[in-house]
Amino acid sequence: MMLLATIREALATLRLHRRWTALTTFGIIWGTASVVLLVGWGVGVHGLVDRGMQKVGKNLVYVMAGRIGEDLTPAEERRQLDFDLEDVDAVRAGARHIEQISADVAMWLPARRGALLRIVNVRGVEPAMRDLRGVSLAAGRFVSPDDVRFQRRVAILGEKARERLFGTRPAVGQPLTLYGQRFTVIGVLAPVGAQLSRDGPLIDEQVWIPVTTAIVLVPGTRIGKMVMRPHAREDNADLKREVRTLLAKRLHVSPTDEEAIFILSMIDYLSGFDAVFTNLKVFLLLLSVATLGIGGIGVMNMMLVAVNARRREIGMRLAVGARRREVVAQFLVETVVITLAGGIAGLILGLAACVAFGMLPGDLVPRPVIVPGVAVAAIVITSAVGVAAGVVPAWQAAHTDPAESLRTE
Amino acid sequence: MTAAGSLIRLRSVHKTFDAGGAPVHALQGVDLDIERGEYVGVMGPSGSGKTTLMDILGFLARPTTGQYEFDGCPIDGLTERELAAFRGERVGFVFQSFNLLPRLTALANVELPLLYRRVPGAERRRRAAAMLERVGLAARARHHPNELSGGERQRVAIARALINRPSVILADEPTGALDSATGEAILDMIEQLHRDGQTIVMVTHDPSIGARVQRVVRLRDGRIDVTA
Repeated sequence: MMLLATIREALATLRLHRRWTALTTFGIIWGTASVVLLVGWGVGVHGLVDRGMQKVGKNLVYVMAGRIGEDLTPAEERRQLDFDLEDVDAVRAGARHIEQISADVAMWLPARRGALLRIVNVRGVEPAMRDLRGVSLAAGRFVSPDDVRFQRRVAILGEKARERLFGTRPAVGQPLTLYGQRFTVIGVLAPVGAQLSRDGPLIDEQVWIPVTTAIVLVPGTRIGKMVMRPHAREDNADLKREVRTLLAKRLHVSPTDEEAIFILSMIDYLSGFDAVFTNLKVFLLLLSVATLGIGGIGVMNMMLVAVNARRREIGMRLAVGARRREVVAQFLVETVVITLAGGIAGLILGLAACVAFGMLPGDLVPRPVIVPGVAVAAIVITSAVGVAAGVVPAWQAAHTDPAESLRTE
Repeated sequence: MTAAGSLIRLRSVHKTFDAGGAPVHALQGVDLDIERGEYVGVMGPSGSGKTTLMDILGFLARPTTGQYEFDGCPIDGLTERELAAFRGERVGFVFQSFNLLPRLTALANVELPLLYRRVPGAERRRRAAAMLERVGLAARARHHPNELSGGERQRVAIARALINRPSVILADEPTGALDSATGEAILDMIEQLHRDGQTIVMVTHDPSIGARVQRVVRLRDGRIDVTA
């Protein structure tokens, strides 16, 4: 009954001092919304970069054939190394930490459809490449083991390559001439979009054919690269060591020669990014705390002014029989109403902003992530500041002689 | 009635304030007895301690030294909680500046002392409405203080002071902020309360008002001036 009357009165007070209430609440709304959005943004940017980096394929390790290192051989004996399909098979069979592996041959070739001629990036791949790159098909089918075995002249087009060669016409089942040989388009890849990492042109611009076909299509073609992925990120180091040992033996080079067998692991890059993003998140968190602090100081100010302006009222209430704690409780209810309303409004605003930013079109727009712990902490902190700033001076006023409070001008 | 049976009994009451290092002796040994049903005027020049005396009588401040017994009960030994109950139930304050809460209606202002006594809502409203009717403001119950004239505000304040049927009404220059006609009406109301048996202690500057009370207590420099 008492509490109900107190809440009713608190609401009446807040209504009467609308501008004051609005300003105070705004401070809390601003603080809470900023924290929710900033932290969400930080996490979202991390997610964006992670996704962008992974668009070339998840957790890929590239193994490339290079030259024997300078300090290991005289200059005239340095030769360009390359892999053959047996090397790829040997790695596939011998490295326990590999989940998927595919040879990757890259070359620029003329492509002709009717009178139309385009130079395209052609990749010789194995069936595993689809899973390694994480691509899906918009139409048709992918390179099959039989395509590889029988060196079939079949091609799969990236979205941009399809557009350049076929425009709005259907592509699947149509003939396409690559380097003077007639191919059949058997599939079209779904658009991959913006990539934050790549090897060569964007996947969307590539034309994929079976690796065996690529080797016989252009005389002297070498397998310059293998693309593989470990079972788990933790297997990264083991996989690199395993592959290096295996290939060094087959190519008769030193296993310590990092120029002869050059390994580039995306996992190493992403780990580096993780550190950067941890720092970014810490920075945004500090920024949020500062924002929250400024909001808190604003709220504190408003509260202190309000309570001082109402010292007479406190004295009057005591004079008509209010107990100290009843007076303090009244201010507590008022501040809790304000801070809670502000906190919840700020939370809703922050979440709405997160959702709104998340709906912006484009591949490279971060999608803010809602972090529940941070949202709760933001509300708790602003509320605590507001309540402390409202209740402490009220408590002090209630503990001085009512006569003194009453005579306050 | 004997002195021991007095409603209010002050013995060598001192009140000292610390005003920025220099102690201010507002009351310097006041002895005062007020009997039930008395109508007492407190007079004296500014700074003579009138308001401090009223604050002590109304439990709004405690004496620095000396004894205060209210209805035979020493105030010294009361807890904060008992003191709050005494303020709400044993005395009714009427201030020069009304001290109404601007955001509450006249009715809610009168209800306030009942609220702090945990009187249920329906009874609160009934009693407050009856009290407003008694001071002639039944029609103004739903109005806020800023919609009322000075005299009406003071009548609301008197209704609030009376709502708990206090043993004594303490009025600190109740007509000080009113024009003379309105002040006269308020004074009539107070005198009517006195005729109904209400004990009243009223601070006033005005000698003509002082002439109308039963007894005048004159203060000078924090002491009761017995020469007057």
